Amino acid sequence: MADIEVETEVTGNVWKVLCQVGDHVETEQELVILESMKMEIPVEAPQAGTVKALNVSEGDAVDEGQIILVLEG
Amino acid sequence: MKAAVLRAQNQPMEIEEVAVSNPGPREVLVRTLAAGVCHSDLHFLDGSYPYQLPTILGHESAGVVEAVGRDVTYVKKGDHVITCLSAFCGHCDKCVTGHLSLCASPEVARKPDDSPRLATKEGDAIHQFLNLSSFAEMMLIHEHALVKVREDMPMDRAALIGCSTTTGVGAVFHTAGVEPGSTVVVIGCGGVGLAAINGAAIAGAGQIIAVDRVDSKLELAKSVGATHVVNAAEKDAVGEVKEMTQGGCDYAFEAIGLKATAEQAFQMLGPGGTATVIGMIPVGTMVELHGVDFLSEKKIQGSNMGSNRFRVDMPRFVEFYLNGKLHLDQMISKHIRLDDVNLALEALKTGEEARHVIIFD
Repeated sequence: MADIEVETEVTGNVWKVLCQVGDHVETEQELVILESMKMEIPVEAPQAGTVKALNVSEGDAVDEGQIILVLEG
Repeated sequence: MKAAVLRAQNQPMEIEEVAVSNPGPREVLVRTLAAGVCHSDLHFLDGSYPYQLPTILGHESAGVVEAVGRDVTYVKKGDHVITCLSAFCGHCDKCVTGHLSLCASPEVARKPDDSPRLATKEGDAIHQFLNLSSFAEMMLIHEHALVKVREDMPMDRAALIGCSTTTGVGAVFHTAGVEPGSTVVVIGCGGVGLAAINGAAIAGAGQIIAVDRVDSKLELAKSVGATHVVNAAEKDAVGEVKEMTQGGCDYAFEAIGLKATAEQAFQMLGPGGTATVIGMIPVGTMVELHGVDFLSEKKIQGSNMGSNRFRVDMPRFVEFYLNGKLHLDQMISKHIRLDDVNLALEALKTGEEARHVIIFD
């Protein structure tokens, strides 16, 4: 049961959070939607697992490479 | 209305019946008359830039106002408009300091919990692309995502002003501030690169060197203002430019979106020169520069949508077209129907043609 850190690929703002701690998510499921320069950019689960930690909420500013949530695979 | 819906990356779009909502207080319903098929659409289709699906691509368009929301006073039914993805809120720090194209306020879109602007017949949300979604018979957009234009402006040419012209000419005028007589290099002669070349000619640049790997594109480049061309498939572009400019150019523009060409743009500068990266480099890609070059005050910067103030710029570009300075006729390689949008995107991948424009009834 390894922890998987999910990073953002772009700098932007959290537009929508689509999961909560304890949720089981599937590979490529959309977890968070970021808003960056008017683009809605989804952050997807790299593999199936359970959301162990959620580090952001809607409206937060995030930087490229920031770990926004942790999955337990 | 009919629209081209993208449901999965790298899959053809399907022409479907789509429901469009009624205009909210500050929204405008625009009947699409023309929509350019742009290489940026391809970046989202192939996933090099992620986006929420399903969506309707298309972001370079012109049309006529069909209906306006309660609080809209800027346009009325029947006005001819060009759309722009640089929708501005008008009151954030970027907007009030004159950098409208950098406005990141989400208020020009509907809120996550509002009913969507676009939906399937069954009522499921379709995510609007860059607040526009032009591959559709109608666009429901914020009033700050359009500009009124003269009615004698042909709509297919007007559509190009909505993105590629503004991006290329704006990068030259606004982002870089090219001075008369300076030397300019443009790498990549697609719609945006050709617009940058044309912009450099209007700005009064001296030498304007076009770089591409396709001879037909280099011929087009000459027709819009390039004074010299380099085929990078045959010659070392950096070496050629340095020789032609006796040591490096004043301004280089990268209009492809690749690490290698962004680095070349910087390498071909003379002392004090400025490289402007317009192309969309894939997310996660790093660009490497020789640190010693900073000693000669070489600069590199990005340009998004030509650092536009499109409510001012686009009517000016219309004037440039109508008085013969902006060459848009040769930018359009083909007029197509919405049903053929997938073929147009396939054609872009070859890099052979300029631009397909969708014409609506």
